[in-house]
Amino acid sequence: METNFNKPQRQSSIGVLVMFVDSLQKFGRAFFPIIIIYFFKSESLSKLYLYFGLVGIVLVIAVIAYLSFINFTFYIDDENDEFIVNEGIINKTKTTIQLNRIQQVNIQQSLLQRIIGVYALNVDTAGSDNKEGNIKAISHSVALALKAKLLNNEARKEIISSDEAPIEEVKSSDYPFLKIDFLSLLKVGITSNYVRSFGLILTFFFTIFENLRNIGKEDLIDERTIDGFVENNSAFYLVSVFILGMFCVVFVINISRTLIKYFNYNITKQKGSLLLSYGLINTQSTILKPEKVQIVNISRNFFQKKLNVLEIKIKQAISDESKQKKSLIEIPGCNENERDEILKLIFKQLPEKGIMMKPNFRKLVFSIFLTIVLPLTGFFIFGKYINAEAFEFLNLAVFYTLFFLIIHYFGFRNYRLYINKNHIIKQSGAWDIDNEIIEIGKIQAITTSQLFWHKNLNIGSLTLHTAGGNLSFQLGNYAKIKEYVNLWLYEIETSNSNWM
Amino acid sequence: MEEFTNETIDTKQLPRFEEVQLTALHKNYWKVLLINNAIIFSIIAIVMIFLWINIEDSQEFSPFWVFGVFLVIVNVSFFLYRISFKKKAYAFRNHDVIYRSGLVATNTMVIPYNRVQHVALHEGFLSRYFGLAKVEIFTAGGSASDIEIPGIAKEEAENIKQLLMGKIQKQL
Repeated sequence: METNFNKPQRQSSIGVLVMFVDSLQKFGRAFFPIIIIYFFKSESLSKLYLYFGLVGIVLVIAVIAYLSFINFTFYIDDENDEFIVNEGIINKTKTTIQLNRIQQVNIQQSLLQRIIGVYALNVDTAGSDNKEGNIKAISHSVALALKAKLLNNEARKEIISSDEAPIEEVKSSDYPFLKIDFLSLLKVGITSNYVRSFGLILTFFFTIFENLRNIGKEDLIDERTIDGFVENNSAFYLVSVFILGMFCVVFVINISRTLIKYFNYNITKQKGSLLLSYGLINTQSTILKPEKVQIVNISRNFFQKKLNVLEIKIKQAISDESKQKKSLIEIPGCNENERDEILKLIFKQLPEKGIMMKPNFRKLVFSIFLTIVLPLTGFFIFGKYINAEAFEFLNLAVFYTLFFLIIHYFGFRNYRLYINKNHIIKQSGAWDIDNEIIEIGKIQAITTSQLFWHKNLNIGSLTLHTAGGNLSFQLGNYAKIKEYVNLWLYEIETSNSNWM
Repeated sequence: MEEFTNETIDTKQLPRFEEVQLTALHKNYWKVLLINNAIIFSIIAIVMIFLWINIEDSQEFSPFWVFGVFLVIVNVSFFLYRISFKKKAYAFRNHDVIYRSGLVATNTMVIPYNRVQHVALHEGFLSRYFGLAKVEIFTAGGSASDIEIPGIAKEEAENIKQLLMGKIQKQL
């Protein structure tokens, strides 16, 4: 048909059908519960009404589908090298995509599309949400022609060649750059993820408990034996046994999970990128490209510091949501030298902690207010006015308060932003101390934020957006923050650094 | 070959994003907001009246009380909308776009043009009636780092879009 896409054109006319089924599906999903209820209650209503209602709905959807088909046009503006999609019946949207920003063009076919013989064409840019141009129904020849047209520019080809370095090639040369031994994994297993494993165990116990109760076999957990147990032994003894048992289980689970997941962790260097492979049961292998790295997080707690192990998490640029899981790479159990090697490889130099920025003490006050003052007030009000029995748990409240005071104090003390010429490092955490590193060139956008009562205090927050997530620093010296933002903007805008 | 210089940047001399004169949203956009909200609140009011008539227990409540609370909510929300409308402002500099928004906090977001992925122009039904459009600017950083500037006159929005597209091209 037309190999010239310079004029706004519609989809294949049979595409109305795709639009119709699409809207029907959307409607069905949104109103599924209502329809079900309607059906069950319909005995009291006249069947005639029901059918009229259904026919009416289908008609309305058909009209909507037709109108959205009529209003959906796309074309390529040759003058400006843009791909433009117009859509919307009442609310209209015009999406403009620069041709050289297009990363991928996918031609797809669903079952319905296969039956009626049309194709869907999706245009992908580096933005992580899927709001970009999606054409639902065009013939195969048009799809191919459009794809060729869309990808017909030089910048794109470069991206492809650097992007799709085949995996087979990488496997050819194998000299290990880094190998994480059994002992390091053991160290990491012992010293990390307490909270997560504890939560897992708790949910596990609660589900079992709930299930037993639901089945109705309360005799399995006979309350009398438990009561007797509680009375015979002091409560303190019971609690300590419970906590000890929990710790043992957490340890065992943590160690085995770390060992199974990361067994035989190998990192090989290949043409500037890293190939990671690991796993006991099924071996995973991932490729890490330094230029795609957005945020590197180095995490270490007190024990790990003593044992000289640390964990590295690397966030890469994500081009679509489904790959999000793959974009996070974990390297458990390196020592400091290995960390430096990896960082050097990723950043081409060792990011050093530059000028330090501290948060205002109000950050500490605010978190104490939120997690201690508010709950405690609620607790006392509850005890005083509703149920005095609550005060029996007073020692628990004291323990809670102390625990959170310590957590917040250390969290506040560790909350720092380090700025140097090329990198920004944010340090945070109370027990596990995280150091998130980003390169200034990888920043996509910057947000500064200030609460109105902080205006005269010169306190404000900063959020740096990258393609791998955000990094924010709250309640710092606002004037300083703004000064750095101006500097970073200058640096980003004057250089054309490749951010992925 | 040109002589290579690498002088120290005086950070105090850099252009300051916080001192840029921002453009407020078109005053017709306030009307759009008003009408939108009026519609939503009328629907809520109608549903409430309907419920009040049809459910017997609800007659125990004094209608004046319910109405009073409703009015307070309406007024407060209009007040909040007004603040947020007043706060929204934008500016297009030579190398980046600045957008200010927020209610309790003042958020100022800056996107350099060389980080823009694509641009969209969105016209809501009411906005179109008033000749307004929304400019949406997307980066690779996900929805948190996208800017949506509503309430710009249609022609101006088109111009802005053209300007942005031109800037993107030049950057590459």
